[in-house]
Amino acid sequence: MNDKPRNVLVTGASRGLGLAIARRLTAAGYRVIAVARSKSKPLTEAIAAVERDAHGSLHFAPFDLGKVEAIPDLVKNLRKEFGPLYGLVNNAAVGHDGALAVMHNSRIEELVRLNTLSPIVLTKYVVRAMMAEGAGRIVNVASIIGFTGYSGLAAYAATKAAMLGFTRSLAREVGRLGINVNAVAPGFLDTEMTHGLTGEQRERVIRRSALRRLADVDDVANAVEFLLGDQARSISGTVLTVDAGTTA
Amino acid sequence: MSIKLTIMDEMARVAREHGKTLGQLDDDVALLDSGLDSLGLAVLVARLEDRLGLDPFTTSDDVQFPVTVGDFVKAYEHGSH
Repeated sequence: MNDKPRNVLVTGASRGLGLAIARRLTAAGYRVIAVARSKSKPLTEAIAAVERDAHGSLHFAPFDLGKVEAIPDLVKNLRKEFGPLYGLVNNAAVGHDGALAVMHNSRIEELVRLNTLSPIVLTKYVVRAMMAEGAGRIVNVASIIGFTGYSGLAAYAATKAAMLGFTRSLAREVGRLGINVNAVAPGFLDTEMTHGLTGEQRERVIRRSALRRLADVDDVANAVEFLLGDQARSISGTVLTVDAGTTA
Repeated sequence: MSIKLTIMDEMARVAREHGKTLGQLDDDVALLDSGLDSLGLAVLVARLEDRLGLDPFTTSDDVQFPVTVGDFVKAYEHGSH
């Protein structure tokens, strides 16, 4: 790591996968800016733990990513406060499930707004800052549901497949400016998002996975760290699947 | 430095970095004939936001990106008022 810490923005970092990513990147020496609506207890504890240890640093930036029109100012203010942004991890998402035929339109709209529209607009403003610097890394958190089917997740799947297409095309668009764009596709993880999964469904996912278990949030956080690191400098426009072999 | 001169200065810098040659930058010249391609223009807008503290294409309701050099400069001049 360089003497000056690299700033990485992680969205949805107050819990679940986002919090695990924020913790991992902080331990790796990055200066992590955790964007979330509210400061959860685990995030508060993680920030306190970082202050005790001499790793990178972890900062909380309160923001509701559903407020797409306020994103330009968010990025402007973060750049003013923290300086150049080296990395962006688009992790924040909602996981509404249910049969599409009876899913309320407002829920569908919320899925598209938070999982697709918001990260695309956020990326627009962050990538501009990276373009001005001539360097940067973007990691989009997609899902295996973006390329495999799962009943009850049609709208969610659409938003995640959208992020895969976004990843590949943006990688082409900004590659020659020294910006890498990749995605990770986690399988089912034990987080709040998958609490709706019944025990039987969970068992079935485990039975079908090559490794006979679920991947966990730390496995995915490791993949994100790799894609942000110097070792991944020649990797762009790709999707790294972390699903314990579920889709093998 | 005036807004126009700042824009011209930054255009020259981006062109240099991208290995492009700028043509004549009269007001009626199309931006895409200026010597910068669309990616170069995107870098230009990002840099100008840092230098002028202004992004007229986010604050404006006009969804069309300007076509000519003159309109581009005008967008910044109007945006700063």
